[in-house]
Amino acid sequence: MAHQSPGLWRHPRDRSRDYRRLDGWIELARTLERGLFDGLFLADVLGVYDVFGGNSEAALRHAAQTPVNDPLLLVPAMAAATKHLGFGVTVTLSYEPPFPFARRMSTLDHLTDGRIGWNIVTGYLDSAAKGMGQGGQRRHDDRYAVAEDYMQVVYKLWEGSWADDAVVADARHSIFTRPERVRKVHHDGPHYKLDALHLAEPSPQRTPVLYQAGTSPAGRAFAARHAECVFMSGPSKKVIAPRVAAIRELAVEAGRDPADILMFAMMTVIVAPTDSEAAAKLADYRRYADPEGALTLMSGWTGVDFSRFDPDQVVEHVTSEAGRTAMENITRADPDRRWTVREVAEHVSIGGIGPVVAGSPATVADRLEEWIGETGLDGFNMAFAIRPETFVDVVDLLVPELQRRGRYKTEYATGTLREKLFGRRRLNHQHPVAMHRWV
Amino acid sequence: MAREIRFNAFDMNCVGHQSPGLWAHPRDRSWQYKDLEYWVELAQLLERGKFDGLFIADVLGVYDVYRGNLEAALRHSTQLPVNDPLQLVPAMALVTQHLGFGLTASLSFEHPYTFARRLSTLDHLTKGRAGWNIVTSYLESGAKNIGLVGQNSHDDRYDIADEYMEVCYKLWEGSWEDGAVLRDRARRIFTDPDKVHPIAHEGRYFKVPGVHLCEPSPQRTPVLYQAGASTRGRRFAGEHAECTFVATPSKAVLRRAVAAIRDSVAAAGRDPRNVLIFNLQTLIVDETDAKARAKYDEYRQYINLDGALALGSGWMGIDFGRYAPEEPLRHIETNAVQSSVEAFSSADPGKVWTVRELAEWIGIGGLGPVFVGGPSTVADLLEEWVAETDVDGFNLAYAVTHETFADIVGHLVPELQRRGIYKKDYATGTLREKLFGAGPRLPDSHIGARYRHLDGALQRALSAAE
Repeated sequence: MAHQSPGLWRHPRDRSRDYRRLDGWIELARTLERGLFDGLFLADVLGVYDVFGGNSEAALRHAAQTPVNDPLLLVPAMAAATKHLGFGVTVTLSYEPPFPFARRMSTLDHLTDGRIGWNIVTGYLDSAAKGMGQGGQRRHDDRYAVAEDYMQVVYKLWEGSWADDAVVADARHSIFTRPERVRKVHHDGPHYKLDALHLAEPSPQRTPVLYQAGTSPAGRAFAARHAECVFMSGPSKKVIAPRVAAIRELAVEAGRDPADILMFAMMTVIVAPTDSEAAAKLADYRRYADPEGALTLMSGWTGVDFSRFDPDQVVEHVTSEAGRTAMENITRADPDRRWTVREVAEHVSIGGIGPVVAGSPATVADRLEEWIGETGLDGFNMAFAIRPETFVDVVDLLVPELQRRGRYKTEYATGTLREKLFGRRRLNHQHPVAMHRWV
Repeated sequence: MAREIRFNAFDMNCVGHQSPGLWAHPRDRSWQYKDLEYWVELAQLLERGKFDGLFIADVLGVYDVYRGNLEAALRHSTQLPVNDPLQLVPAMALVTQHLGFGLTASLSFEHPYTFARRLSTLDHLTKGRAGWNIVTSYLESGAKNIGLVGQNSHDDRYDIADEYMEVCYKLWEGSWEDGAVLRDRARRIFTDPDKVHPIAHEGRYFKVPGVHLCEPSPQRTPVLYQAGASTRGRRFAGEHAECTFVATPSKAVLRRAVAAIRDSVAAAGRDPRNVLIFNLQTLIVDETDAKARAKYDEYRQYINLDGALALGSGWMGIDFGRYAPEEPLRHIETNAVQSSVEAFSSADPGKVWTVRELAEWIGIGGLGPVFVGGPSTVADLLEEWVAETDVDGFNLAYAVTHETFADIVGHLVPELQRRGIYKKDYATGTLREKLFGAGPRLPDSHIGARYRHLDGALQRALSAAE
């Protein structure tokens, strides 16, 4: 519920309430595929936004990402209804043992014919850690150290346990799998130990397409090593551009081709046939905006309780063990811009911390082209104001304009998600997975 | 009125499942288990045949007891490779209205906090057709994985399971009250915070302070299945299970097992008729007895003895590879084997059961019996078994898929319907309503119902009792 635009569940045309049923998701998946979207990216959190006010009342009242269901289970149904759309699922590795998780992702890769991606998340809500029986979440940078160890385990399972030629399904000789082409993997790391073979046979992509979304220094280093796609959230080009450049540089230092990482910024687009209609639409949405819900989300993202501030107070930078990026966004990332609490609430209440671009197809297309030109981004992670209307408008109005300008594909490439994004089925030899491969 | 017989289809997200070797049969499609269409077609077929549910097995371990290695398991694909069962359900839910889904999930590999959300999500997406087959695994494999607090290698895994269930019940039944979700646009309130309660669980093995992540689903707690056969397992089933599965080869053994299960349910203060018991069976049905027998003979050519013994060795914990095929089982002195010998002997007293005979038995349909015949013959047998053992229904495995199920739906179900012993239509409502006819939620007599009112008074009472 109420992903990035708290309060807008109240809009008469919003159908987020249907999140518990399959038919709304199927319809959304088909809409996005009609619009040739690369993927549907599903966020997730395992905790409750209880930083605001020190409890979860606001989160519950405003449905600020609570209630929240398991995202993976939506995928098979949407996959059955589509042919090309990719699915990026968020899974918090801190709370998911690697051995069963690796099988879950392989299963999804099989069932979707290789259209699955994993958004690698370490978690930022203390309530999630406590839900899992831990005293509290680990320190921010420690979480990335744990993540590094976790990735070694899953790479070994996905790429190092079953050789490509293990499964022969030879009925005549009664051999399904050649035993000598399957082996146990061993891992004895600081945080994880494993001595087992992967339970699933090789799937089309083996390792799912890897997404990552943290842009703190530790997050960027992690992304530069592992990520194929990076998501960023920031309110302006000024904030986003240096991050894009930084990660590409770090990728080079990590021995990878910077073009092997696709960067997406979060964006909410309100498009209508004319500029004034779009402005009217945005104004209509703003009537349902929920500043307290917005601050509830912001408090969760930053680890700072915004209920304790005066609305006209300027936000000063504070370090916490929650996420780091959200706080950076409204403080140090753009030293020329100062945000009051009220301004943060207003901004976040539609489209979260990302920007909102409203206008006719031509206006929006101009702005998006500007964004790409000035930041070096590869694309956008589109959030919604109301669901499914925001996406339907983009597909019906914006996509044709971008196609007309030759800036957007007119058909899907064939193959798995990785083939569509990068032209290859498997991660290449520059990626850390390669050292775990069994050739 | 004659008693209604219930059917589940018994399957697994792997090749061959209970009939290792038969993947080599030209008409078997189990190697397509990685394709959504395979499962979608199966679900539609089963719903046409008015099956109560598709029950999907799972195991997170491998069959490496036979000869001490994995060669047979890999070569003959005995439940390896094996994929995650939960991911199959949403696509099947999309194409069906009534079929229930019983998912096997071991509570030893996942923390209850994330697991409870997974099951609630399935219950939402299937509109109340979710079931959970509760499995416990050996302690060493699970404990470190899920950060158990204070575990001890000698602790009874069922004690841990009892506490796991308690956490799940608190999340599913108690955390969000009915009516917590208001969706009040005018007053700008989605959920009433006063009606959502942190479960504040602090037990011996788990500490879970917070609220359930999901709003109440149609059934809240999924229908609970269990298959444990040990004494401690029976006690656990008596407390928690709404449906149980057994895999016995003969009426004599089944009758005793059914009685024991109903006794354990009664001992837990519940109505012994309020548990549904299913036996594993494989049915080879065709238009006539002769055609069915010919089909069965054809299937038997594909039985793989090594594959069968790999399964048998895993199930019984004994390496049958150490014995010659003609070795009588009576000579193998372990408890598991001896009780199997007794069980099989009751099925066919004249036979000298050898390792080879056991392999041939397991080779189609695992440890359950195989019935072969035309619709009348098989219907007679099923009626007889129900009448003489008090079993409620059958968990039907396949020899060749989806052919085995298509034959049942096409030939057998109409005969059973004609006899008035099989439903002609589904009842309305959630899986629980279809099975028990008494509402979508756990009955008040069930242990899970104790956790419905998580206000302070109950919390204190529960803590005092511990």
